[in-house]
Amino acid sequence: MSDAKTKIDEQVKSTDVVLFMKGTKSMPQCGFSSRVAGVLNYMGVDYADVNVLADEDIRQGIKDYSDWPTIPQLYVKGEFVGGCDIITEMTLSGELDTLFDDNGVTYDKDAADKIREANG
Amino acid sequence: MTRTEQITTRLKDAFDPRELEVVDDSESHRGHAGFQDGGESHFNVRIRADAFAGQSRIARHRAVHAALGKELVSQIHALALDIDS
Repeated sequence: MSDAKTKIDEQVKSTDVVLFMKGTKSMPQCGFSSRVAGVLNYMGVDYADVNVLADEDIRQGIKDYSDWPTIPQLYVKGEFVGGCDIITEMTLSGELDTLFDDNGVTYDKDAADKIREANG
Repeated sequence: MTRTEQITTRLKDAFDPRELEVVDDSESHRGHAGFQDGGESHFNVRIRADAFAGQSRIARHRAVHAALGKELVSQIHALALDIDS
């Protein structure tokens, strides 16, 4: 494995929920990254944010790792879940809640319901 | 051929969609990262095709990425996909 791939592999396997994004969870630098970070922040999920803009090797490496051409990318328990469109759809359908339930990830269910009410 | 036309052609060829809408949304991202003069940097695609039946969300997105090809995907800054069977 390349250095970047090894580093990514360690990151996604050492933390339950990891978001590779442009910017940080407190200061996103792209609307799509901002949307996913916003959902996780609002749902009170404990997650690690990796700013791909800070490391060109990771920025390209994460695309190769998942064979997925875009950022953001969300990982739960080492598994790639999806990018902005998929996370948005899963949030609204309740699938994201189920995924978190199944993987023992704690989150605020009421907050998730509020997102759905506001976008229903 | 414009990128809008390339996207439309490749998706039609690959999936024979019932509904297909390819919108160049670049203007609404003017001044943001990735905006290119002349537009064609940000696209919204809505596609409905029987070919996606029974596929997971990730599989559907991967199929669209594959149909567009690595080169075209790498030229586009943002591609928002709404895919269903």
